[in-house]
Amino acid sequence: MKKISSTLALVLLFITAIGQQAEMADQMRESGKIYVVVGVIVLIFIVLFAYLIYMDVRLRKIEKEENER
Amino acid sequence: MAELKNLTAILVKEFKSDFRNPYVLGGAGLFLLSTLFVCYITIKRIHQPSIWVALFWIIMLFTSFNAVAKSFMNESRARMLYLYTLIGPSIFIVSKMIYHATIMLVLSMVAVLVYTTFFEITIEDRLVFFASVVLGSTGLAITLSLLSTIASKAGNNLTLLAILGLPILLPLLMVATTLMKNSIDGIDLSVQYKYLFVLFGLNLSSLGLSIVLFPYLWRE
Amino acid sequence: MQRLPLSFKITTIILVFYTLIAGLLIDVPALNILNETIRNLFFHVTSWFAMVFLFFASFVYSIKYLRTANERDDLLARLFVQVGMVFGAAGMLTGMLWANYTWGSYWVPDPKLNGAAIAMLAYLAYGVLRNSFQDNIQRGKVSAVYNIFAFVMMLLFVFILPRMTDSLHPGNGGNPAFSGYDLDNTMRLVFYPASIGWIFLGVWITEMRFRMEGLKQRKK
Repeated sequence: MKKISSTLALVLLFITAIGQQAEMADQMRESGKIYVVVGVIVLIFIVLFAYLIYMDVRLRKIEKEENER
Repeated sequence: MAELKNLTAILVKEFKSDFRNPYVLGGAGLFLLSTLFVCYITIKRIHQPSIWVALFWIIMLFTSFNAVAKSFMNESRARMLYLYTLIGPSIFIVSKMIYHATIMLVLSMVAVLVYTTFFEITIEDRLVFFASVVLGSTGLAITLSLLSTIASKAGNNLTLLAILGLPILLPLLMVATTLMKNSIDGIDLSVQYKYLFVLFGLNLSSLGLSIVLFPYLWRE
Repeated sequence: MQRLPLSFKITTIILVFYTLIAGLLIDVPALNILNETIRNLFFHVTSWFAMVFLFFASFVYSIKYLRTANERDDLLARLFVQVGMVFGAAGMLTGMLWANYTWGSYWVPDPKLNGAAIAMLAYLAYGVLRNSFQDNIQRGKVSAVYNIFAFVMMLLFVFILPRMTDSLHPGNGGNPAFSGYDLDNTMRLVFYPASIGWIFLGVWITEMRFRMEGLKQRKK
């Protein structure tokens, strides 16, 4: 119920905001929820980069083994 | 001076061999004529200048693939190597480009003649119109000269030439079509000259690049 | 190419994460139609920059290969194209999404879009060309020649044509450039590091691919 009413309020706010200044995601920033989005994206990239580094380290290991042979 | 002599000699040789064996040129010409006729039968009338121009250049594009690809397929490897050692690569590619450009000019003039009789249209600025045809078709010939050598190295097929050529020729075609469409609409020369300039520049840079790069294709 | 130092990789990580966080959180100018999507500048435009840089690197290695005939240079030219294509695909898909919300359609007839599509086609053709050879040396030479030819023609096209025709992109055909209104000083603070960050990431991935290929060849 709470969810529905909050989305309704958001939609209403959007409608009233149209025609005024260029619409920006001020709501998101005021409620602090933009940080959640940033957090999610950063987490995804941390995982991706961890995988990239993992591959790099593994490659180095294989290269070492090849050199020793 | 010796270079100029070599150049004319090889050009004379090219045209002589064409005269003796007219299937190559005739094939490309026949391809052009039958394509034009098919277009006429199926389309009959074109009202919009933009479509008129686009169709013309599409026909010219595929005709140029046929004309240029055939001329390289005719040369045997041994004969090319012989000519190469005899006169050097840059003269060789320049002669090829002049030869292709001449063929394309002849074909494009035939195309303009037949095309304008099939699909009637009033051209406001005839001079710029012909400039676009000439510069566009020499551009096609020059660019495809190098690309057809590349394609012939890789097994000599027309499909590869089309794949390699299309993205590189698109800029040229875009400028040529704009120029031609504007000349049909009678746009003022003060607007047109920069398109003419760019088209000329594209021709020139393609020529320069070919001369620089062609020797590398032979050293193997 | 030398193995990249650790500092390079750390810089990449810092720059990319700075881009992600600052790119989403800094104050951007409030503009109509664009709204928050102006932040795409840090992600979409920079991936094109990365692609162009990687293609440029490939171009440089192709020239190097023609001079030295070192097989490593040919390999690097190929790998830079491959990774560049990944960034190009990213740039194209993100651009299409962005265009749908600001210009109203996934694909608009814009010279920059056409230029990008043509460039991608040319490099796909490069891949096809490479696959049609058996002999390594011949493949290297011929594809290097095509790479150089294609890159220069693309460059001419990308620089000349958008300036001549109207474009929806900023900086062309009457639209003010980045410096005009949409890249104010705070945005610059993110935009430049972002460009370098994505370029470095592309170089890093290429380096890893290069090492993988090195191992593969040693196995043989």
